[in-house]
Amino acid sequence: MRKVTRALVPLAAAAVPFALMAAPAHADSGWQLQATLNPLNHSSGSGMATVTGTGNQAHVTVHWSGLAAKFNGAAYPHVQHIHIAGQGQCPTAAADKNGDGVISTTEGGPAYGGIGTTLSVKGDTSPKAATDIKIAPGGGSTSYSRDITLSNDTLNSLKAGTAVVVVHGLDPATLSKKAQNEKSDLVPSLPLAATSPALCGVLSAMPSGGVATGTGSTAGVEDLGLLAAGGGLAALGGGLLVARRRQTVKA
Amino acid sequence: MSRLVMSGRRGAVTVLALAALVAGVVLVVVAVRAQRSAAQPPRSVGGIDTASSPRSPSGASSSSPSAPPSPTPSVEPADKAHEPLGASKPVRIRIPAVGVDSKVNPLGLAEDGTLAVPQPGPHLNQAAWFDESPTPGQPGPSIIEGHVDSESGPSVFLELGNVRPGNKIYVTRKDGIEVVFTVNAVRDYKKSSFPTRVVYGGNLEVPQLRLITCSDFDASIHHHVGNEVVFSHLTAVRRHPHHH
Repeated sequence: MRKVTRALVPLAAAAVPFALMAAPAHADSGWQLQATLNPLNHSSGSGMATVTGTGNQAHVTVHWSGLAAKFNGAAYPHVQHIHIAGQGQCPTAAADKNGDGVISTTEGGPAYGGIGTTLSVKGDTSPKAATDIKIAPGGGSTSYSRDITLSNDTLNSLKAGTAVVVVHGLDPATLSKKAQNEKSDLVPSLPLAATSPALCGVLSAMPSGGVATGTGSTAGVEDLGLLAAGGGLAALGGGLLVARRRQTVKA
Repeated sequence: MSRLVMSGRRGAVTVLALAALVAGVVLVVVAVRAQRSAAQPPRSVGGIDTASSPRSPSGASSSSPSAPPSPTPSVEPADKAHEPLGASKPVRIRIPAVGVDSKVNPLGLAEDGTLAVPQPGPHLNQAAWFDESPTPGQPGPSIIEGHVDSESGPSVFLELGNVRPGNKIYVTRKDGIEVVFTVNAVRDYKKSSFPTRVVYGGNLEVPQLRLITCSDFDASIHHHVGNEVVFSHLTAVRRHPHHH
């Protein structure tokens, strides 16, 4: 949590433009978060999300692939959200309270919280659009990029480290027989698979600034003693030879 | 009369002087040859952007109206991008072109929000994977860092500055799969203007590996003032790798 707060510190600095002008610490100002999206519920997908911005203005990019591609012959709609105000975690199998082998969106709630922002492709980005499959990305993979004005609730969770990106929509074939026949806990007209979480990733701060991966121990001259001894011997020998030669010439 | 004695003594001294000279020169040569300096990376070679994956696993198209249908590649990568894998942590990294062969340990952020670096101990001179970045082979930029040098001298990425576009990076994952990345760009950034979003973000579609180490030692302040970043993208996956 603390590290995310730190990532948002530049946000406070943005309120002091003179300070920024005096010391532009990094090429990027504002805040930068990232999440690696890993599969839930035996889905086979994988993805990554970044949320970067200044104040409430966020640029969100999400890429994922390997999810169910078709639903009733059309592109499978995968609703995706920034969940907020939970434990800031992705649920484990222990969250499957009814033992049907599927962590439903409701069962995952304590871990990742409620919906703060809907990552729709157009229109409404509020929690009201959470299950609007008409504005959800569709198909087995997506590359999503959108500028969104975040609510204060979402921004607060981003600061607190409790914002979680969740992508929904499972391939029904991967579910148990029991789960295949269940209705969605969110939209009863849809099967459970349609709304259950498929990918999840906690948003955390990108590392700030450069990396301290060196001490300079190889930057100077090593083995100084050896160099000095060798140089001294060579100088002594050379000096003696020259001296001898002079004596010989004089003689 | 004394000339014989003189010449005898003179000869002995000459031999000794010659011996000292030769021994001295040999020592200097040995010491100079033992010098190992960090390889200095070029400021900028190759294009950072990689073309999007040619093979979408499900064949579905991008669905966001605000996103371009496919990221425009500024430079065609040397090899075509390979489709992403699921998660599995990296355990070993090899870069034959510059003699790197190291275990990989996970590392997170430091207290100050920067990327933590390997600390003195058994992991000091081994590579480290940033544990909040994708695992190598997952979509997006996986981050592996290493020291260029440490208190104990040369470290795992001493020669990283000699990596060039086209070089291969081999990473073995915990699941036994070896993922092969092809270098497409090398950049040398000033730490004071490190482009966080470029290095840790960017194209999230193509599985990428980015290597970070220190560069540009400034003797006047006794610090490295730069960071070298090697940009590479997944080009091959070996499920049953054979090592020589």
